[in-house]
Amino acid sequence: MSTHTENTVHESHAEHAEYIYLTPMPVRIWHWINALGIVTLCVTGIQIRFPEYVNIFGTYKAAIRLHNTAGITVAIFYAIWLGYYLIVKGNLFKLYVPNTYDIKMGIFRQVLFYFYHFFKGGPSPHHATPDDKFNPMQKVAYMGLMLVLMPLVILTGILILNVAPLREMIMLLGGLKIMVSAHFLIACCFCAFLFVHIYLATMGHTMLAHFKPMWDGWEEVKHH
Amino acid sequence: MATLRSAALVLSILSIFPMAALAAEKSEDACIDCHGDKNISGKSGSHLFIDPAQYKKTSHSVIGCTSCHESVTVNHPNDGIRPSRATCKECHSPVHQEYAASLHANNAACADCHNPHAVKPPMLTSARDMNAMCAKCHETAKMVTTHAKWLPQADLHIDALPCITCHTGSQNYVITMYVEKRMGTKAHSDFKVASYDELTQLIPGDKDVKSLIDTNGDNFISLAELRSFNRNAKNDDMRLWGMMTPEKVTHSYQILDNRWDCTFCHASGPRAMQTSFVAFPDKSGTFTRMAVEKGAVLDVLYGTPDFYMMGSTRSTALSIVGGLIILGGMGFAGVHGTLRFLTRKNRKEH
Repeated sequence: MSTHTENTVHESHAEHAEYIYLTPMPVRIWHWINALGIVTLCVTGIQIRFPEYVNIFGTYKAAIRLHNTAGITVAIFYAIWLGYYLIVKGNLFKLYVPNTYDIKMGIFRQVLFYFYHFFKGGPSPHHATPDDKFNPMQKVAYMGLMLVLMPLVILTGILILNVAPLREMIMLLGGLKIMVSAHFLIACCFCAFLFVHIYLATMGHTMLAHFKPMWDGWEEVKHH
Repeated sequence: MATLRSAALVLSILSIFPMAALAAEKSEDACIDCHGDKNISGKSGSHLFIDPAQYKKTSHSVIGCTSCHESVTVNHPNDGIRPSRATCKECHSPVHQEYAASLHANNAACADCHNPHAVKPPMLTSARDMNAMCAKCHETAKMVTTHAKWLPQADLHIDALPCITCHTGSQNYVITMYVEKRMGTKAHSDFKVASYDELTQLIPGDKDVKSLIDTNGDNFISLAELRSFNRNAKNDDMRLWGMMTPEKVTHSYQILDNRWDCTFCHASGPRAMQTSFVAFPDKSGTFTRMAVEKGAVLDVLYGTPDFYMMGSTRSTALSIVGGLIILGGMGFAGVHGTLRFLTRKNRKEH
Protein backbone atom coordinates (compact mmCIF):
# COMPACT_ATOMS: atom_id res chain seq x y z
CA MET A 1 0.00 0.00 0.00
CA SER A 2 1.32 3.38 -0.91
CA THR A 3 1.91 6.05 1.70
CA HIS A 4 0.59 8.70 -0.66
CA THR A 5 -2.62 10.42 0.31
CA GLU A 6 -5.62 10.09 -1.94
CA ASN A 7 -5.18 13.37 -3.68
CA THR A 8 -1.53 12.75 -4.29
CA VAL A 9 -0.48 13.06 -7.86
CA HIS A 10 3.01 11.93 -8.69
CA GLU A 11 5.21 11.74 -11.70
CA SER A 12 6.28 8.34 -12.78
CA HIS A 13 9.60 7.32 -14.17
CA ALA A 14 8.07 7.53 -17.59
CA GLU A 15 8.42 10.98 -18.91
CA HIS A 16 4.80 11.95 -19.63
CA ALA A 17 2.91 9.69 -17.30
CA GLU A 18 1.17 11.04 -14.24
CA TYR A 19 -0.60 8.92 -11.63
CA ILE A 20 -3.52 9.70 -9.37
CA TYR A 21 -4.62 7.63 -6.36
CA LEU A 22 -8.11 6.89 -7.58
CA THR A 23 -9.32 3.86 -5.65
CA PRO A 24 -8.66 3.59 -1.90
CA MET A 25 -7.86 0.14 -0.52
CA PRO A 26 -11.19 -0.48 1.30
CA VAL A 27 -13.01 0.13 -1.98
CA ARG A 28 -10.67 -2.24 -3.83
CA ILE A 29 -11.13 -5.00 -1.25
CA TRP A 30 -14.88 -4.51 -1.40
CA HIS A 31 -14.85 -4.50 -5.21
CA TRP A 32 -13.06 -7.82 -5.58
CA ILE A 33 -15.05 -9.58 -2.87
CA ASN A 34 -18.17 -8.24 -4.54
CA ALA A 35 -16.94 -9.39 -7.96
CA LEU A 36 -16.23 -12.90 -6.73
CA GLY A 37 -19.57 -12.94 -4.89
CA ILE A 38 -21.60 -11.79 -7.88
CA VAL A 39 -19.94 -14.22 -10.28
CA THR A 40 -20.58 -17.04 -7.77
CA LEU A 41 -24.19 -15.92 -7.42
CA CYS A 42 -24.68 -15.87 -11.20
CA VAL A 43 -23.19 -19.32 -11.75
CA THR A 44 -24.96 -20.97 -8.80
CA GLY A 45 -28.12 -19.12 -9.79
CA ILE A 46 -28.08 -20.80 -13.20
CA GLN A 47 -27.99 -24.23 -11.55
CA ILE A 48 -30.70 -23.25 -9.06
CA ARG A 49 -33.05 -22.11 -11.81
CA PHE A 50 -32.26 -24.85 -14.33
CA PRO A 51 -31.28 -27.86 -12.21
CA GLU A 52 -32.33 -30.45 -14.78
CA TYR A 53 -29.96 -28.95 -17.36
CA VAL A 54 -27.09 -27.53 -15.31
CA ASN A 55 -25.12 -29.28 -12.60
CA ILE A 56 -21.88 -27.47 -11.85
CA PHE A 57 -21.65 -27.95 -8.11
CA GLY A 58 -22.44 -31.65 -7.76
CA THR A 59 -25.72 -31.42 -5.91
CA TYR A 60 -28.59 -28.96 -5.88
CA LYS A 61 -28.08 -28.41 -2.18
CA ALA A 62 -24.42 -27.48 -2.73
CA ALA A 63 -25.49 -24.85 -5.26
CA ILE A 64 -28.14 -23.51 -2.87
CA ARG A 65 -25.71 -23.38 0.08
CA LEU A 66 -23.03 -21.64 -1.99
CA HIS A 67 -25.58 -19.20 -3.42
CA ASN A 68 -26.85 -18.39 0.08
CA THR A 69 -23.33 -17.93 1.45
CA ALA A 70 -22.27 -15.71 -1.46
CA GLY A 71 -25.53 -13.76 -1.18
CA ILE A 72 -25.10 -13.10 2.52
CA THR A 73 -21.45 -12.11 1.95
CA VAL A 74 -22.39 -9.66 -0.81
CA ALA A 75 -25.18 -8.25 1.38
CA ILE A 76 -22.87 -7.71 4.35
CA PHE A 77 -20.20 -6.11 2.19
CA TYR A 78 -22.83 -3.93 0.54
CA ALA A 79 -23.79 -2.65 3.99
CA ILE A 80 -20.11 -1.96 4.72
CA TRP A 81 -19.70 -0.23 1.34
CA LEU A 82 -22.77 1.90 1.97
CA GLY A 83 -21.55 2.77 5.45
CA TYR A 84 -18.08 3.62 4.12
CA TYR A 85 -19.34 6.04 1.49
CA LEU A 86 -22.18 7.47 3.58
CA ILE A 87 -20.43 7.86 6.90
CA VAL A 88 -16.62 7.53 6.53
CA LYS A 89 -16.26 9.33 3.21
CA GLY A 90 -19.58 11.14 3.20
CA ASN A 91 -19.52 11.54 -0.58
CA LEU A 92 -21.91 8.80 -1.69
CA PHE A 93 -24.39 11.15 -3.31
CA LYS A 94 -21.72 13.36 -4.83
CA LEU A 95 -20.09 10.35 -6.48
CA TYR A 96 -23.16 8.37 -7.44
CA VAL A 97 -26.04 10.75 -7.99
CA PRO A 98 -25.99 12.72 -11.26
CA ASN A 99 -25.90 16.49 -10.71
CA THR A 100 -27.82 19.12 -12.67
CA TYR A 101 -25.07 19.41 -15.28
CA ASP A 102 -25.01 15.64 -15.72
CA ILE A 103 -28.75 15.51 -16.30
CA LYS A 104 -28.88 18.54 -18.62
CA MET A 105 -25.82 17.83 -20.68
CA GLY A 106 -23.31 15.36 -19.21
CA ILE A 107 -25.23 12.15 -19.83
CA PHE A 108 -25.98 13.14 -23.42
CA ARG A 109 -22.36 14.10 -24.08
CA GLN A 110 -21.10 10.87 -22.58
CA VAL A 111 -23.54 8.75 -24.59
CA LEU A 112 -22.55 10.66 -27.70
CA PHE A 113 -18.93 9.96 -26.92
CA TYR A 114 -19.38 6.23 -26.39
CA PHE A 115 -21.54 5.70 -29.43
CA TYR A 116 -20.09 8.25 -31.85
CA HIS A 117 -17.02 10.35 -30.97
CA PHE A 118 -15.16 7.36 -29.59
CA PHE A 119 -15.31 5.68 -33.01
CA LYS A 120 -14.22 8.89 -34.71
CA GLY A 121 -11.25 9.10 -32.38
CA GLY A 122 -12.47 11.98 -30.18
CA PRO A 123 -11.52 12.36 -26.49
CA SER A 124 -13.80 11.45 -23.56
CA PRO A 125 -15.59 14.48 -22.12
CA HIS A 126 -14.90 13.22 -18.60
CA HIS A 127 -11.63 12.79 -16.70
CA ALA A 128 -11.67 10.81 -13.50
CA THR A 129 -10.48 12.43 -10.26
CA PRO A 130 -10.84 10.93 -6.77
CA ASP A 131 -13.75 13.25 -6.00
CA ASP A 132 -15.41 12.86 -9.38
CA LYS A 133 -14.35 9.45 -10.54
CA PHE A 134 -17.42 8.50 -12.51
CA ASN A 135 -18.60 9.97 -15.76
CA PRO A 136 -22.29 10.92 -15.96
CA MET A 137 -23.21 7.61 -17.63
CA GLN A 138 -21.36 5.66 -14.97
CA LYS A 139 -23.13 7.66 -12.29
CA VAL A 140 -26.53 6.75 -13.71
CA ALA A 141 -25.58 3.09 -14.15
CA TYR A 142 -23.97 2.73 -10.73
CA MET A 143 -26.76 4.63 -9.02
CA GLY A 144 -29.29 2.29 -10.56
CA LEU A 145 -27.24 -0.77 -9.71
CA MET A 146 -25.93 0.12 -6.27
CA LEU A 147 -28.70 2.29 -4.85
CA VAL A 148 -31.77 0.66 -6.45
CA LEU A 149 -31.14 -2.83 -7.82
CA MET A 150 -28.65 -3.99 -5.19
CA PRO A 151 -30.94 -3.18 -2.23
CA LEU A 152 -33.84 -4.83 -4.10
CA VAL A 153 -31.94 -8.00 -4.95
CA ILE A 154 -30.70 -8.24 -1.36
CA LEU A 155 -34.17 -7.64 0.06
CA THR A 156 -35.82 -10.22 -2.21
CA GLY A 157 -32.95 -12.61 -1.51
CA ILE A 158 -33.38 -12.31 2.26
CA LEU A 159 -37.12 -12.88 1.87
CA ILE A 160 -36.68 -15.95 -0.35
CA LEU A 161 -34.09 -17.28 2.08
CA ASN A 162 -36.56 -17.11 4.98
CA VAL A 163 -39.92 -17.80 3.40
CA ALA A 164 -41.70 -19.29 6.39
CA PRO A 165 -40.68 -16.73 9.04
CA LEU A 166 -41.09 -13.74 6.70
CA ARG A 167 -44.25 -14.95 4.95
CA GLU A 168 -46.33 -11.97 6.03
CA MET A 169 -43.87 -9.50 4.56
CA ILE A 170 -43.69 -11.54 1.35
CA MET A 171 -47.48 -11.47 1.05
CA LEU A 172 -47.49 -7.75 1.71
CA LEU A 173 -45.10 -7.23 -1.19
CA GLY A 174 -47.21 -9.28 -3.60
CA GLY A 175 -46.36 -12.91 -2.87
CA LEU A 176 -43.50 -15.33 -3.21
CA LYS A 177 -43.68 -15.46 -6.99
CA ILE A 178 -43.21 -11.71 -7.33
CA MET A 179 -40.20 -11.92 -5.02
CA VAL A 180 -38.64 -14.79 -6.97
CA SER A 181 -39.37 -13.15 -10.34
CA ALA A 182 -37.92 -9.82 -9.23
CA HIS A 183 -34.86 -11.53 -7.76
CA PHE A 184 -34.28 -13.42 -11.00
CA LEU A 185 -34.71 -10.42 -13.30
CA ILE A 186 -32.50 -8.16 -11.18
CA ALA A 187 -29.90 -10.93 -11.06
CA CYS A 188 -30.01 -11.03 -14.88
CA CYS A 189 -29.39 -7.26 -14.91
CA PHE A 190 -26.29 -7.77 -12.73
CA CYS A 191 -25.12 -10.56 -15.00
CA ALA A 192 -25.62 -8.33 -18.08
CA PHE A 193 -23.80 -5.56 -16.23
CA LEU A 194 -20.81 -7.84 -15.67
CA PHE A 195 -20.27 -8.13 -19.42
CA VAL A 196 -20.77 -4.40 -20.03
CA HIS A 197 -18.63 -3.49 -17.02
CA ILE A 198 -15.69 -5.69 -18.01
CA TYR A 199 -15.92 -4.55 -21.62
CA LEU A 200 -16.04 -0.84 -20.77
CA ALA A 201 -13.13 -1.33 -18.38
CA THR A 202 -11.00 -2.16 -21.41
CA MET A 203 -11.68 1.29 -22.89
CA GLY A 204 -8.84 3.10 -21.16
CA HIS A 205 -5.88 4.39 -23.16
CA THR A 206 -4.65 0.80 -23.01
CA MET A 207 -6.80 -2.30 -22.62
CA LEU A 208 -5.70 -2.78 -18.99
CA ALA A 209 -5.40 0.88 -17.95
CA HIS A 210 -8.69 0.87 -16.03
CA PHE A 211 -8.03 -2.50 -14.40
CA LYS A 212 -4.85 -1.27 -12.74
CA PRO A 213 -6.40 1.30 -10.36
CA MET A 214 -8.85 -1.32 -9.12
CA TRP A 215 -5.86 -3.51 -8.28
CA ASP A 216 -3.29 -1.07 -6.82
CA GLY A 217 -5.27 2.14 -6.55
CA TRP A 218 -3.24 4.23 -9.02
CA GLU A 219 -4.49 5.34 -12.38
CA GLU A 220 -2.19 6.66 -15.02
CA VAL A 221 -3.41 9.94 -16.44
CA LYS A 222 -2.55 10.39 -20.05
CA HIS A 223 -2.03 13.90 -21.26
CA HIS A 224 -2.69 14.61 -24.85
CA MET B 1 -55.72 -47.65 -2.99
CA ALA B 2 -56.32 -51.08 -1.52
CA THR B 3 -58.98 -49.53 0.68
CA LEU B 4 -60.65 -48.08 -2.37
CA ARG B 5 -60.49 -51.39 -4.17
CA SER B 6 -62.08 -53.18 -1.22
CA ALA B 7 -64.81 -50.57 -1.04
CA ALA B 8 -65.44 -50.88 -4.77
CA LEU B 9 -65.66 -54.64 -4.40
CA VAL B 10 -68.13 -54.37 -1.55
CA LEU B 11 -70.17 -51.84 -3.47
CA SER B 12 -70.37 -54.11 -6.45
CA ILE B 13 -71.47 -57.04 -4.25
CA LEU B 14 -74.10 -54.87 -2.64
CA SER B 15 -75.34 -53.70 -5.99
CA ILE B 16 -75.92 -57.32 -6.95
CA PHE B 17 -77.71 -58.03 -3.70
CA PRO B 18 -79.84 -54.98 -2.98
CA MET B 19 -81.58 -56.72 -0.10
CA ALA B 20 -78.26 -57.16 1.67
CA ALA B 21 -77.56 -53.46 1.22
CA LEU B 22 -80.95 -52.62 2.62
CA ALA B 23 -80.34 -54.85 5.62
CA ALA B 24 -76.95 -53.25 6.22
CA GLU B 25 -78.51 -49.82 6.06
CA LYS B 26 -81.27 -50.78 8.49
CA SER B 27 -78.98 -52.27 11.10
CA GLU B 28 -76.67 -49.31 10.68
CA ASP B 29 -79.50 -46.87 11.38
CA ALA B 30 -80.31 -48.76 14.55
CA CYS B 31 -76.67 -48.60 15.67
CA ILE B 32 -76.30 -44.92 14.81
CA ASP B 33 -79.47 -44.10 16.75
CA CYS B 34 -77.54 -44.73 19.94
CA HIS B 35 -73.91 -44.45 18.91
CA GLY B 36 -74.50 -41.26 16.98
CA ASP B 37 -75.79 -39.57 20.12
CA LYS B 38 -73.09 -37.69 21.99
CA ASN B 39 -74.70 -38.59 25.31
CA ILE B 40 -73.52 -42.14 24.87
CA SER B 41 -70.03 -40.97 25.73
CA GLY B 42 -71.09 -40.03 29.23
CA LYS B 43 -72.36 -43.51 29.97
CA SER B 44 -69.59 -45.77 28.76
CA GLY B 45 -66.77 -43.74 27.31
CA SER B 46 -66.06 -41.45 24.42
CA HIS B 47 -64.96 -44.27 22.12
CA LEU B 48 -68.60 -45.35 21.80
CA PHE B 49 -69.63 -42.14 20.07
CA ILE B 50 -69.53 -42.22 16.30
CA ASP B 51 -70.01 -39.00 14.37
CA PRO B 52 -72.78 -39.91 11.90
CA ALA B 53 -71.71 -37.33 9.28
CA GLN B 54 -68.13 -38.53 9.27
CA TYR B 55 -69.09 -42.19 9.39
CA LYS B 56 -71.45 -41.94 6.43
CA LYS B 57 -68.56 -40.67 4.29
CA THR B 58 -66.45 -43.75 5.02
CA SER B 59 -66.29 -46.83 2.84
CA HIS B 60 -66.95 -48.79 6.02
CA SER B 61 -70.47 -47.40 6.24
CA VAL B 62 -71.24 -49.18 2.99
CA ILE B 63 -70.62 -52.61 4.44
CA GLY B 64 -72.42 -51.80 7.68
CA CYS B 65 -71.57 -52.04 11.37
CA THR B 66 -72.13 -55.77 11.77
CA SER B 67 -69.61 -56.62 9.08
CA CYS B 68 -66.88 -55.73 11.53
CA HIS B 69 -68.79 -56.18 14.78
CA GLU B 70 -70.17 -59.62 13.97
CA SER B 71 -71.08 -60.72 17.48
CA VAL B 72 -73.61 -57.95 17.99
CA THR B 73 -77.08 -59.46 18.51
CA VAL B 74 -80.54 -57.93 18.32
CA ASN B 75 -80.48 -57.67 22.11
CA HIS B 76 -77.35 -55.49 22.18
CA PRO B 77 -76.41 -53.86 24.54
CA ASN B 78 -78.44 -55.98 26.99
CA ASP B 79 -77.16 -59.35 25.83
CA GLY B 80 -74.01 -59.14 27.94
CA ILE B 81 -71.81 -59.81 24.93
CA ARG B 82 -68.91 -57.49 24.27
CA PRO B 83 -69.08 -56.76 20.52
CA SER B 84 -66.31 -58.36 18.50
CA ARG B 85 -64.06 -56.25 16.28
CA ALA B 86 -62.72 -57.33 12.96
CA THR B 87 -59.03 -56.78 12.43
CA CYS B 88 -58.09 -54.46 9.61
CA LYS B 89 -56.02 -57.07 7.81
CA GLU B 90 -59.07 -59.29 7.31
CA CYS B 91 -60.06 -56.96 4.47
CA HIS B 92 -56.95 -54.86 3.93
CA SER B 93 -54.40 -57.63 3.70
CA PRO B 94 -52.15 -56.12 0.99
CA VAL B 95 -51.99 -52.80 2.85
CA HIS B 96 -51.31 -54.64 6.08
CA GLN B 97 -48.45 -56.55 4.51
CA GLU B 98 -46.96 -53.42 3.01
CA TYR B 99 -47.25 -51.56 6.31
CA ALA B 100 -45.88 -54.47 8.36
CA ALA B 101 -42.67 -54.33 6.34
CA SER B 102 -42.24 -50.59 6.94
CA LEU B 103 -40.27 -48.73 9.62
CA HIS B 104 -43.50 -47.50 11.17
CA ALA B 105 -45.14 -50.88 11.86
CA ASN B 106 -43.70 -51.33 15.34
CA ASN B 107 -44.67 -47.85 16.41
CA ALA B 108 -48.33 -47.49 15.51
CA ALA B 109 -51.26 -49.78 14.76
CA CYS B 110 -53.76 -49.02 11.98
CA ALA B 111 -56.27 -47.41 14.34
CA ASP B 112 -53.61 -45.07 15.77
CA CYS B 113 -53.77 -43.15 12.51
CA HIS B 114 -57.07 -44.25 10.97
CA ASN B 115 -60.26 -44.07 12.97
CA PRO B 116 -62.31 -46.79 11.23
CA HIS B 117 -65.50 -44.76 11.81
CA ALA B 118 -64.11 -41.64 10.20
CA VAL B 119 -61.45 -42.91 7.82
CA LYS B 120 -61.52 -41.44 4.34
CA PRO B 121 -59.52 -41.95 1.18
CA PRO B 122 -56.45 -39.71 0.80
CA MET B 123 -58.04 -37.67 -1.98
CA LEU B 124 -60.83 -36.63 0.39
CA THR B 125 -58.39 -35.60 3.10
CA SER B 126 -56.50 -32.34 3.23
CA ALA B 127 -52.73 -32.62 3.31
CA ARG B 128 -52.81 -30.40 6.40
CA ASP B 129 -55.01 -32.99 8.16
CA MET B 130 -52.60 -35.74 7.13
CA ASN B 131 -49.73 -33.85 8.74
CA ALA B 132 -51.82 -33.10 11.81
CA MET B 133 -52.16 -36.86 12.22
CA CYS B 134 -48.39 -37.35 12.00
CA ALA B 135 -47.85 -34.44 14.41
CA LYS B 136 -49.78 -36.30 17.12
CA CYS B 137 -46.56 -38.25 17.70
CA HIS B 138 -44.01 -36.32 15.63
CA GLU B 139 -44.29 -32.86 17.10
CA THR B 140 -43.93 -30.28 14.30
CA ALA B 141 -41.40 -28.03 16.06
CA LYS B 142 -39.14 -31.02 16.77
CA MET B 143 -39.45 -32.22 13.20
CA VAL B 144 -38.44 -28.80 11.91
CA THR B 145 -35.35 -28.90 14.15
CA THR B 146 -34.29 -32.39 13.09
CA HIS B 147 -34.90 -31.71 9.38
CA ALA B 148 -33.13 -28.35 9.55
CA LYS B 149 -29.87 -30.21 10.20
CA TRP B 150 -29.69 -31.08 6.54
CA LEU B 151 -32.72 -29.57 4.78
CA PRO B 152 -32.64 -25.87 3.80
CA GLN B 153 -35.82 -24.06 4.89
CA ALA B 154 -37.09 -27.11 6.79
CA ASP B 155 -40.01 -25.12 8.19
CA LEU B 156 -41.19 -24.25 4.70
CA HIS B 157 -40.83 -27.82 3.46
CA ILE B 158 -42.82 -29.23 6.37
CA ASP B 159 -45.46 -26.58 5.77
CA ALA B 160 -45.83 -27.34 2.06
CA LEU B 161 -45.49 -31.11 1.94
CA PRO B 162 -47.48 -33.92 3.47
CA CYS B 163 -44.99 -36.07 5.44
CA ILE B 164 -45.98 -39.09 3.34
CA THR B 165 -44.70 -37.40 0.19
CA CYS B 166 -41.15 -38.08 1.30
CA HIS B 167 -41.55 -40.80 3.90
CA THR B 168 -43.48 -43.39 1.90
CA GLY B 169 -43.00 -44.84 -1.52
CA SER B 170 -45.97 -42.76 -2.71
CA GLN B 171 -45.83 -41.70 -6.34
CA ASN B 172 -47.13 -39.31 -8.97
CA TYR B 173 -47.04 -35.90 -7.38
CA VAL B 174 -49.42 -33.08 -8.13
CA ILE B 175 -50.01 -29.68 -6.61
CA THR B 176 -53.12 -29.53 -4.50
CA MET B 177 -54.26 -26.11 -3.37
CA TYR B 178 -56.38 -25.46 -0.31
CA VAL B 179 -58.36 -22.34 0.43
CA GLU B 180 -56.94 -20.92 3.64
CA LYS B 181 -58.38 -18.16 5.74
CA ARG B 182 -56.96 -16.05 8.51
CA MET B 183 -58.40 -17.30 11.74
CA GLY B 184 -59.08 -14.93 14.61
CA THR B 185 -59.69 -11.24 14.61
CA LYS B 186 -56.09 -9.97 14.68
CA ALA B 187 -54.75 -8.34 11.53
CA HIS B 188 -52.09 -10.97 10.82
CA SER B 189 -53.49 -14.03 12.52
CA ASP B 190 -52.45 -17.42 11.19
CA PHE B 191 -53.90 -18.96 8.06
CA LYS B 192 -55.80 -22.22 8.45
CA VAL B 193 -57.58 -24.37 5.88
CA ALA B 194 -61.09 -22.93 5.70
CA SER B 195 -64.00 -25.19 6.60
CA TYR B 196 -67.17 -25.53 4.55
CA ASP B 197 -69.08 -23.29 6.95
CA GLU B 198 -66.41 -20.60 6.90
CA LEU B 199 -66.47 -20.47 3.14
CA THR B 200 -70.26 -20.47 2.81
CA GLN B 201 -70.31 -17.27 4.87
CA LEU B 202 -68.33 -15.59 2.10
CA ILE B 203 -70.68 -16.60 -0.67
CA PRO B 204 -73.95 -14.80 -1.26
CA GLY B 205 -77.15 -16.85 -1.56
CA ASP B 206 -77.21 -20.62 -1.81
CA LYS B 207 -74.23 -20.96 -4.09
CA ASP B 208 -71.81 -23.81 -3.63
CA VAL B 209 -68.41 -23.13 -2.03
CA LYS B 210 -66.78 -24.11 -5.31
CA SER B 211 -68.26 -21.00 -6.92
CA LEU B 212 -65.74 -19.03 -4.89
CA ILE B 213 -63.19 -19.88 -7.60
CA ASP B 214 -65.12 -21.78 -10.25
CA THR B 215 -67.30 -18.80 -11.01
CA ASN B 216 -68.86 -20.19 -14.21
CA GLY B 217 -69.79 -23.49 -12.53
CA ASP B 218 -68.24 -25.77 -15.17
CA ASN B 219 -66.46 -27.86 -12.53
CA PHE B 220 -63.10 -26.81 -13.90
CA ILE B 221 -60.89 -23.94 -12.82
CA SER B 222 -59.45 -21.93 -15.67
CA LEU B 223 -56.35 -19.78 -15.27
CA ALA B 224 -58.55 -16.70 -15.59
CA GLU B 225 -60.74 -17.87 -12.70
CA LEU B 226 -57.69 -18.69 -10.62
CA ARG B 227 -56.11 -15.31 -11.28
CA SER B 228 -59.34 -13.53 -10.51
CA PHE B 229 -59.62 -15.33 -7.15
CA ASN B 230 -55.99 -14.69 -6.24
CA ARG B 231 -56.26 -11.00 -7.05
CA ASN B 232 -59.09 -10.57 -4.59
CA ALA B 233 -58.18 -13.19 -2.01
CA LYS B 234 -56.03 -10.84 0.04
CA ASN B 235 -58.94 -8.52 0.64
CA ASP B 236 -60.95 -11.35 2.14
CA ASP B 237 -58.01 -12.57 4.26
CA MET B 238 -57.75 -15.68 2.16
CA ARG B 239 -55.00 -17.39 0.22
CA LEU B 240 -54.52 -20.54 -1.79
CA TRP B 241 -51.98 -22.76 -0.12
CA GLY B 242 -50.29 -25.21 -2.46
CA MET B 243 -48.92 -28.55 -1.29
CA MET B 244 -47.20 -31.28 -3.26
CA THR B 245 -49.36 -34.35 -2.75
CA PRO B 246 -48.96 -37.88 -4.07
CA GLU B 247 -51.67 -39.37 -6.30
CA LYS B 248 -50.71 -42.92 -5.47
CA VAL B 249 -50.44 -43.32 -1.72
CA THR B 250 -48.64 -46.25 -0.12
CA HIS B 251 -48.13 -47.44 3.44
CA SER B 252 -44.47 -48.24 2.90
CA TYR B 253 -43.10 -45.90 5.56
CA GLN B 254 -39.38 -45.66 5.05
CA ILE B 255 -36.51 -43.24 4.64
CA LEU B 256 -35.83 -43.22 0.94
CA ASP B 257 -32.31 -42.44 -0.21
CA ASN B 258 -33.44 -40.37 -3.16
CA ARG B 259 -35.36 -37.97 -0.91
CA TRP B 260 -32.08 -36.68 0.56
CA ASP B 261 -31.36 -35.42 -2.93
CA CYS B 262 -33.08 -32.09 -3.55
CA THR B 263 -33.18 -32.75 -7.27
CA PHE B 264 -35.80 -35.47 -6.69
CA CYS B 265 -38.36 -32.66 -6.53
CA HIS B 266 -36.51 -29.55 -7.59
CA ALA B 267 -35.17 -30.84 -10.89
CA SER B 268 -38.44 -32.30 -12.04
CA GLY B 269 -38.82 -29.36 -14.41
CA PRO B 270 -41.85 -27.29 -15.36
CA ARG B 271 -43.36 -30.16 -17.32
CA ALA B 272 -43.93 -32.08 -14.10
CA MET B 273 -45.71 -29.10 -12.61
CA GLN B 274 -48.61 -28.96 -15.03
CA THR B 275 -51.20 -30.83 -12.98
CA SER B 276 -52.87 -29.08 -10.11
CA PHE B 277 -56.14 -29.10 -8.23
CA VAL B 278 -58.04 -26.99 -5.79
CA ALA B 279 -59.48 -29.02 -2.91
CA PHE B 280 -62.75 -27.58 -1.61
CA PRO B 281 -64.11 -28.52 1.81
CA ASP B 282 -67.40 -30.44 2.02
CA LYS B 283 -70.03 -30.28 4.73
CA SER B 284 -68.80 -33.49 6.34
CA GLY B 285 -65.19 -32.32 6.69
CA THR B 286 -63.93 -34.16 3.61
CA PHE B 287 -62.52 -32.45 0.52
CA THR B 288 -63.45 -32.60 -3.15
CA ARG B 289 -60.81 -31.80 -5.72
CA MET B 290 -61.42 -29.75 -8.81
CA ALA B 291 -58.96 -29.81 -11.69
CA VAL B 292 -57.17 -26.58 -12.61
CA GLU B 293 -56.10 -25.60 -16.11
CA LYS B 294 -52.60 -26.75 -16.99
CA GLY B 295 -49.71 -24.51 -16.06
CA ALA B 296 -51.37 -22.80 -13.09
CA VAL B 297 -48.37 -23.11 -10.81
CA LEU B 298 -46.12 -21.77 -13.56
CA ASP B 299 -48.12 -18.57 -14.02
CA VAL B 300 -45.78 -15.70 -13.13
CA LEU B 301 -48.05 -13.53 -11.09
CA TYR B 302 -51.46 -14.74 -10.05
CA GLY B 303 -51.63 -18.49 -10.70
CA THR B 304 -50.33 -19.45 -7.29
CA PRO B 305 -48.80 -16.32 -5.79
CA ASP B 306 -47.67 -18.08 -2.67
CA PHE B 307 -46.46 -21.36 -4.12
CA TYR B 308 -43.07 -21.60 -5.73
CA MET B 309 -40.79 -24.59 -5.99
CA MET B 310 -37.25 -23.49 -6.69
CA GLY B 311 -36.15 -24.92 -10.02
CA SER B 312 -39.41 -26.65 -10.91
CA THR B 313 -42.07 -23.99 -11.13
CA ARG B 314 -40.06 -21.43 -13.06
CA SER B 315 -41.84 -19.47 -15.73
CA THR B 316 -40.46 -20.02 -19.23
CA ALA B 317 -41.52 -16.52 -20.29
CA LEU B 318 -39.57 -15.00 -17.43
CA SER B 319 -36.52 -17.12 -18.24
CA ILE B 320 -36.62 -15.78 -21.79
CA VAL B 321 -36.86 -12.17 -20.58
CA GLY B 322 -33.94 -12.78 -18.21
CA GLY B 323 -31.94 -14.40 -21.00
CA LEU B 324 -32.59 -11.41 -23.26
CA ILE B 325 -31.35 -9.01 -20.57
CA ILE B 326 -28.09 -10.98 -20.32
CA LEU B 327 -27.83 -11.21 -24.10
CA GLY B 328 -28.33 -7.44 -24.22
CA GLY B 329 -25.27 -6.97 -22.00
CA MET B 330 -23.21 -9.38 -24.07
CA GLY B 331 -24.53 -7.88 -27.29
CA PHE B 332 -23.50 -4.37 -26.27
CA ALA B 333 -19.95 -5.55 -25.64
CA GLY B 334 -19.94 -7.53 -28.87
CA VAL B 335 -21.32 -4.80 -31.14
CA HIS B 336 -19.37 -1.94 -29.56
CA GLY B 337 -16.22 -4.07 -29.55
CA THR B 338 -16.61 -4.87 -33.25
CA LEU B 339 -17.12 -1.21 -34.17
CA ARG B 340 -14.19 -0.31 -31.95
CA PHE B 341 -12.02 -2.80 -33.79
CA LEU B 342 -13.14 -1.56 -37.18
CA THR B 343 -12.47 2.09 -36.27
CA ARG B 344 -9.19 1.51 -34.43
CA LYS B 345 -7.24 3.56 -36.99
CA ASN B 346 -9.19 6.71 -36.07
CA ARG B 347 -7.92 6.56 -32.50
CA LYS B 348 -4.31 5.90 -33.46
CA GLU B 349 -4.20 9.26 -35.24
CA HIS B 350 -4.73 10.96 -31.90
